[in-house]
Amino acid sequence: MLFLIAVNAHAQPCSLKLSGAVRSDDGEWLAGTVVRINAQLFTTADESGRFIVENLCRGTYTVTLQFVGYKTKVEEVHLEKDTTLHFVLETDRAVLEEVFVHDHFQPLPETGSYKVLSGEQLIRNRGMALGELMRQASGINTLQTGPSVFKPVINGLHSQRLLLINNGVRHESQQWGAEHAPEIDPFFASDIVVITDASALQYGPEALGGVVLVSPAPLPEEPGWGGEFQSVLQSNGRGGVLSWMAEGGSKKHKGLGWRSQMSYKRLGDFHTPRYVLSNTGVKELNFSVATGMHREDKGWDIFFSHFQTELGILKGTSISSLEDLKQAMNREPPQYSTGFTYDIQNPRQQVQHNLLKLQGHRHVNKGDLILQYAFQHNNRKEYDLRRQSLNKLPAMDMDLFTQTLDACWKQHGRGALWYQAGINLLQQSNNNVPGTQRIPFIPNYNQYGAGIFLSADLNLNTWFINGSLRYDHRFFNVSGFDFANRSYTDQFNLGNTAVSVGVRRDVNRYVRISSNFGTTWRPPHVSELYSMGVHQSVAAIEYGLLLDRTTSTVIPFGQYNFHPERSLKWTTSVSVQNKNWRTEGTVYINYLTNFTYLRPEGVTRNIRGVYPYLRYVQTQALFTGMDWQGEWRVNPTLSFTTRLSLIRAEDRKNKDYLIYIPPNQYAFIIAWKNPNESKRLRFYAETYLRFTDRQRRAPRVITVDEILNAYEHGTDPLQGSDKIFDFMPAPDAYVLLGAEAGVALQLNGNKMELRLRGDNLLNTAYRDYTDRLRYYALETGRNIVLSVRYSF
Amino acid sequence: MKRYFSFILLFAGAALSLYISGCDDDPEKEDVPELVTKIKLTFTPVTGGSPVVVTAVDPDGEGPQDLTPDGSINLRENTTYQLSIELFNDLLNPGEEGYDLTEEIEEEADEHQFFFGFSSGVFSSPSGTGNIAPSTGSINYLDEDSNGRPLGLLTEWTTAGIQSGKSFRVVLKHQPGIKSATSTSADGETDVDVTFALSITGS
Repeated sequence: MLFLIAVNAHAQPCSLKLSGAVRSDDGEWLAGTVVRINAQLFTTADESGRFIVENLCRGTYTVTLQFVGYKTKVEEVHLEKDTTLHFVLETDRAVLEEVFVHDHFQPLPETGSYKVLSGEQLIRNRGMALGELMRQASGINTLQTGPSVFKPVINGLHSQRLLLINNGVRHESQQWGAEHAPEIDPFFASDIVVITDASALQYGPEALGGVVLVSPAPLPEEPGWGGEFQSVLQSNGRGGVLSWMAEGGSKKHKGLGWRSQMSYKRLGDFHTPRYVLSNTGVKELNFSVATGMHREDKGWDIFFSHFQTELGILKGTSISSLEDLKQAMNREPPQYSTGFTYDIQNPRQQVQHNLLKLQGHRHVNKGDLILQYAFQHNNRKEYDLRRQSLNKLPAMDMDLFTQTLDACWKQHGRGALWYQAGINLLQQSNNNVPGTQRIPFIPNYNQYGAGIFLSADLNLNTWFINGSLRYDHRFFNVSGFDFANRSYTDQFNLGNTAVSVGVRRDVNRYVRISSNFGTTWRPPHVSELYSMGVHQSVAAIEYGLLLDRTTSTVIPFGQYNFHPERSLKWTTSVSVQNKNWRTEGTVYINYLTNFTYLRPEGVTRNIRGVYPYLRYVQTQALFTGMDWQGEWRVNPTLSFTTRLSLIRAEDRKNKDYLIYIPPNQYAFIIAWKNPNESKRLRFYAETYLRFTDRQRRAPRVITVDEILNAYEHGTDPLQGSDKIFDFMPAPDAYVLLGAEAGVALQLNGNKMELRLRGDNLLNTAYRDYTDRLRYYALETGRNIVLSVRYSF
Repeated sequence: MKRYFSFILLFAGAALSLYISGCDDDPEKEDVPELVTKIKLTFTPVTGGSPVVVTAVDPDGEGPQDLTPDGSINLRENTTYQLSIELFNDLLNPGEEGYDLTEEIEEEADEHQFFFGFSSGVFSSPSGTGNIAPSTGSINYLDEDSNGRPLGLLTEWTTAGIQSGKSFRVVLKHQPGIKSATSTSADGETDVDVTFALSITGS
């Protein structure tokens, strides 16, 4: 029972609206029906059973409607224009409907805990870096290095403990570095899904913190073409982003579509409420091209993307000893501060990332077979402030080549049972490009990986049960230079298992509970084993696990009693909703054995002065936390939302805190929109208040003066304890106020959107605990963002 | 099964090429002109006589072992010395390319400067406690960069009377673009920071 009503005669790719109404078979409007597009939670129906999903691209979508006590309805919708659908859900008489969800890619586990950023929410925040943008979802934090380097932090974990899946491919870059942001352009994404529990084993074992899926919209399958332009201008940094996208479908070949997209970002120096942050400009150019054929029984996709960025690191962070750090901490403004400029000088990063993906899939005998090959090249150059003759040489220059080959088979078994099985192969080589005139921070390596996984889903009335099993093997071949520039080589193997079990129960039409327990592991990153040297802007020397404690020579892997890091994670989510209220809470407990982290071990004097040194060690860590969001829709125009995110992390073995754990955060949002959705002109306005607490569970503080004095007087600079420490106490709590307003205008199938946003409106001067530059400078001040988007 | 066969064949072929495409490039050894592990101070009496030489060596560069001076600076009372400073990478062998790094500093004199700190009263010239911040005394620099600003690889010192248990600190700052008439030891990045024990003995 599906009626299609054409609303608008002109095609508008990616600005299309799908609206609908859901009734029961006895005529009752089903408020709170969960509406998913391509298996992702998009919205719920309001009190009159209606829903609207906006900013969809042209193409075929699978619309899933779920309401407890009724049969789940799955419809294929070919979207070419704004469309309104009427659905009728049938009362479930305990007979399980055999539903085939025609969704080949990235099925979300039915039992999982996840967060979604999509549609309007993504478009509104375009212009931000990926990590910064992800922060808009509740419970996601960032580890920051100044105003343009953001790494996503999920449940307190980041870097190699997250799996980033970029358009279906494991994103492989130098993720180990705390100042290495993911090389992914948010402009190509139509949705970002963050899976926070251990259920998504099909992507790899490393997701101790979570999996981030960044995906574009499906390619158009219907003839015709469309596109969009967007410009985002911001006051802080005096620059912005220009982007365009064009896409279309072939008239001649059914199901053949293409898309091409490009974005260019240029920003100058950011500023704090009091001074300019010299050398924090950004230059970024990204593009992607995609084409693919999608038919009922088979299809293929080719995707290529290029990411290229050059970004300055605050010049005042160029220090090379504790004395320098002391000077830097006491300076305002930071050293080398000048007036605003667009120039990007040393220290800076130049990063390129290329991705080529080939994918084919086939639908046979109620099953799907997917074969995917991807090639990635990542080049990272880091320039430091060095002697004149060395200034033009990168201090770090690495080429990382990765090839992945994935085969996945999904089969509908008997009754309500689904099986999935797959193989993932990986080949990776990291090469330090000669000519840096520095001993490479990490060695060259080749890595071969093979993984196999099996999973089964069972859907029993209101119960969904999922079980997954995975085994991975890795082989490493390492070749580098030690502290004295003598070469070393090593080879080793690692293998281990991951298991996940999850359950979801739809208790009644208002309440849903899901719970997952999983254990997974990750192979060590080469940087954790072999690092040697001083990182940009950190006045400390880092030593890998395999460096001998006294001689600093490299110990063969086989002689070191290494145990890979493993997590035991339990995640439970509860969501409750009725016509005016919606609330969702997630609680997690993550126990990590052999948790590998940097621990201060002592203080050494080299020719440049006194340095604390840190060594990678392993411990038992416990991360617990809660994310909660509550929304109260007073009426169709006004809503109030409250969010909170709490994290507690501790080192169980040493009875100590861990460093750079995001402090607790609370947000309060008031949103208003004009009630008449169908009008040509639409308005919305929103204001938020974000409170970030002081990290009350921060490591002890040992000031630079205390270390230097102790060293001078021959006493223990670490004050008789090997607990971790920080040079500065955790910054104070702060509150940020922001507001946004927008207007959308529809004219003959063209859509024009205008948005104005202000962040840090009160120009609050603050420091953020999870910004590695907090020792040197304040965070950025007021920023006014003007965004114009035109789609046709 | 036939339907799967082409898939399996394709997969196997791709897998094979994946595994043989990994190349085993050995990394190239870098020259490391920034790695300084030894500093040598030579105090030569201007009126002739044998020079006083002290060195400080860091046995493992970035490793955890400390830089240690091989002894204290023992100067004679009321004597004028010329101090010349040399820098080395002692992890290399003498004569090897990159062993002597003093020249690198000379070549980039316009963005480097040595600063000195010492116990009060050990020298009659310069007097004071040196020019390491917060001290603002003067130093008898004998060399300068192309802008006429002091460098400090060569300096002159006249000792005062007999004393022991004093200290002598040498700091080399890298000040790219910020070395000026008013720049001090608090500016720029530290390339060298070493302290020696100092005593003045009878002649």
